[in-house]
Amino acid sequence: MGLLAAGIGAGIVAVGAGIGIGMIGKSSVESIARQPEASDDIRGAMILTAALIEGVALIGAIVCILLALGIGGG
Amino acid sequence: MLRACRRLFVTLLLILFFAPITHASDKAAQDSEGAPIDVVGKVVDHHELAVPGAYIPLPRIMLVDGEWFFYGSTESAASSDSFAMQNGTLVPAGDAQITLDMSITSHLMYVWFGLILTVWLTISMARRYKKGVGRKTEPQGWFQNLFEIVFIFVRDDIAKTNIPDNKYTKFVPYLFTVFVGITFMNLFGLLPWGATATADITVTAVLAAFTFVITQWNGSKDHWEHVFWFPGVPGWMRIILTPIEIIGLFTKPFALAVRLFANMLSGKIMIICILGLIFIFADLFGNIAGVGMSLFAVPLTVALYVLKAFVGILQAYIFTLLSAVFIGMAAEEHGHEEEVGAHA
Repeated sequence: MGLLAAGIGAGIVAVGAGIGIGMIGKSSVESIARQPEASDDIRGAMILTAALIEGVALIGAIVCILLALGIGGG
Repeated sequence: MLRACRRLFVTLLLILFFAPITHASDKAAQDSEGAPIDVVGKVVDHHELAVPGAYIPLPRIMLVDGEWFFYGSTESAASSDSFAMQNGTLVPAGDAQITLDMSITSHLMYVWFGLILTVWLTISMARRYKKGVGRKTEPQGWFQNLFEIVFIFVRDDIAKTNIPDNKYTKFVPYLFTVFVGITFMNLFGLLPWGATATADITVTAVLAAFTFVITQWNGSKDHWEHVFWFPGVPGWMRIILTPIEIIGLFTKPFALAVRLFANMLSGKIMIICILGLIFIFADLFGNIAGVGMSLFAVPLTVALYVLKAFVGILQAYIFTLLSAVFIGMAAEEHGHEEEVGAHA
């Protein structure tokens, strides 16, 4: 049961992080195309926001790893 | 001819696929703990340091019921009469509990290696700049040039852009130390026999705790006002906002710690799993399948290694950047004219 929960959870985490980072990538590429001289600032902001999303996604992934390994009473 | 080859190939694949499965299933029934590779054992902390060809035992320092015990290694602790081995872990004799385990572990050793390298790097470079090389003349040699590039990057792109102008110089040493130190710790895991110290939640938690303390210590009046008495909102909203802001103080370093930890751990697990596929295939389908798998797994691991080297530097950058952002958010002082407009 824990393994099933971990698999489903990891899938949902990947979906969420994929949507979030995809939207960041989309909008930053669009804005770089619109204003190429601002690409350095945009890249910095992109990495920062992607890191914030990644943090949440990885917390989910860690929970899934704990579930899969049966640590923490699972 | 081609068609015959293809048929032979498909037949071989099918045989490889189906014949050993039945064999493997009754083999797995025989020994239940027949996992060909121990993934978790590769990433957890050890009480010994792996070097080429040997294991160096590390000292055990433990506090048991108010009494300190010092041993040179786990074996000498286990052979003494106050400790015993149980399921591979050291437990005190009798029904006593270990109050505090201050043992030197492999991850701690690699933290020290990283910090020693950082200290050596910065002190040797500082001596050079004191002598005038790089101040009166141009930087000499590729090493000093590289150092200067990294330092200017941390100072200008990380500290200056995120921390208010009159305060940022104070934080550059911390940010630079964290950046270089985490980079070294991340990259040590790529060496043979090496361990990634940052793939341990305690190491990253300590690093994040440093950032937390520095952030709160340098928090301006506005920072604390935002935490406890959010300006420009109706009074009853503060009942909700103040707890949220207080929780927010702690979630920032928590996310910082988990991000670095999970990135390093997942990279490591991925490499071990893909290399482990060779042994899993050899275990399940025979040695030929293992050899065939290695043709696929080894190039993939090489690619992952390059990716992991990149991720190691990127995560050090992100840790430093977010530390700078958090410090900058706390140290910022708002002008009075923007206060009403910005938060209304």
